[in-house]
Amino acid sequence: MGVLLILVIIRNSDQNVFQEKAKTALEATRNDANIVSFDQVKALTAPYLILDLGSAPRPDSLLFQHALKITFSQLLEKANRKILNEAKGELILYADDVPTASRAWVILNQLGYKNLRILSFENIPEGLKYKFQPDTTSRLEQDTM
Amino acid sequence: MDARIKYSLLLVGIGIILAFLPFNASDSFLLKSDELLSKSTSSENSFSVDQVARMVNKEDSTMLLIDLREASQYKECNIPGSLNIPFSDLLNPLWEGTFNQKKVKKIFYGNGDQTANYAWAIATGLGYKNNFVMKGGLNEWFKTVMLSQFKGEKISPIENALYETRFNARKAFTQVNSLPDSLKSRYFKAKDIKQLKLDGGCQ
Repeated sequence: MGVLLILVIIRNSDQNVFQEKAKTALEATRNDANIVSFDQVKALTAPYLILDLGSAPRPDSLLFQHALKITFSQLLEKANRKILNEAKGELILYADDVPTASRAWVILNQLGYKNLRILSFENIPEGLKYKFQPDTTSRLEQDTM
Repeated sequence: MDARIKYSLLLVGIGIILAFLPFNASDSFLLKSDELLSKSTSSENSFSVDQVARMVNKEDSTMLLIDLREASQYKECNIPGSLNIPFSDLLNPLWEGTFNQKKVKKIFYGNGDQTANYAWAIATGLGYKNNFVMKGGLNEWFKTVMLSQFKGEKISPIENALYETRFNARKAFTQVNSLPDSLKSRYFKAKDIKQLKLDGGCQ
């Protein structure tokens, strides 16, 4: 029993173990509640920290006052975790591409970080930009049904 | 000490340990965060729309396209052969058999890149293998496959093969999605039943 207890303590103290339930990620992304626009960030008065996960330097127009550069692959290094743990207010993820920001968001969400947002430059990030035009003259062969 | 007291103490001890366990493993990530991060930074977990188009044309049975959009959007148009698992329903135990198919490449797509990458990270974190994302989602599919046109006088064999792949995928996409609603419902129902059978479930 002592061994089991030690194992549980070790597991709980391991910072790499995800603590949250997967459904919290689904709930937090509902209606894009975890997305924040460029203008919304500019208008923020409460404390926040922008986590720039990109590797390329940013043009002046995309520079933020409260930004910290941490490349995605180094996100979970001990020193960076300490910074994230001590950050006050909203934690806003900013990356060169959508996949990086989305995956980083899931990882940090499941590690239990709250007030976590993704900076998006699109109004509706998951909107379909095209409209399918059906071809009413085409038919599938009956045997494929 | 009396054996009953010993067993009682043992059970109480186990109970305390279980009470302190951090989570229910079945709905929490099995991978550790550094493992998921390492997989996330790999470039080998996505397919381009052209690669997907090729697989669609071949009716590749080793891949399963998972459309993460809501059912209404899926009904309007979807990539032939795809299965609709709305992102909000991703953790429904009904899909466990689908995600557990280790030899099948599960390729997530939404309209853009965001939802597919959330789903990829969640499925991978939960320990499911062989998860991929279709880069750019349906928007990229429309741009590259549906609206592609050859411009120029000469066409190289490589360009020709690519154009043919896109043309055939476009044709399949248009045929399936142009079906009248009644036939479309039958078609999707037949697909769902086929999928359930593959998962080892019943109708």
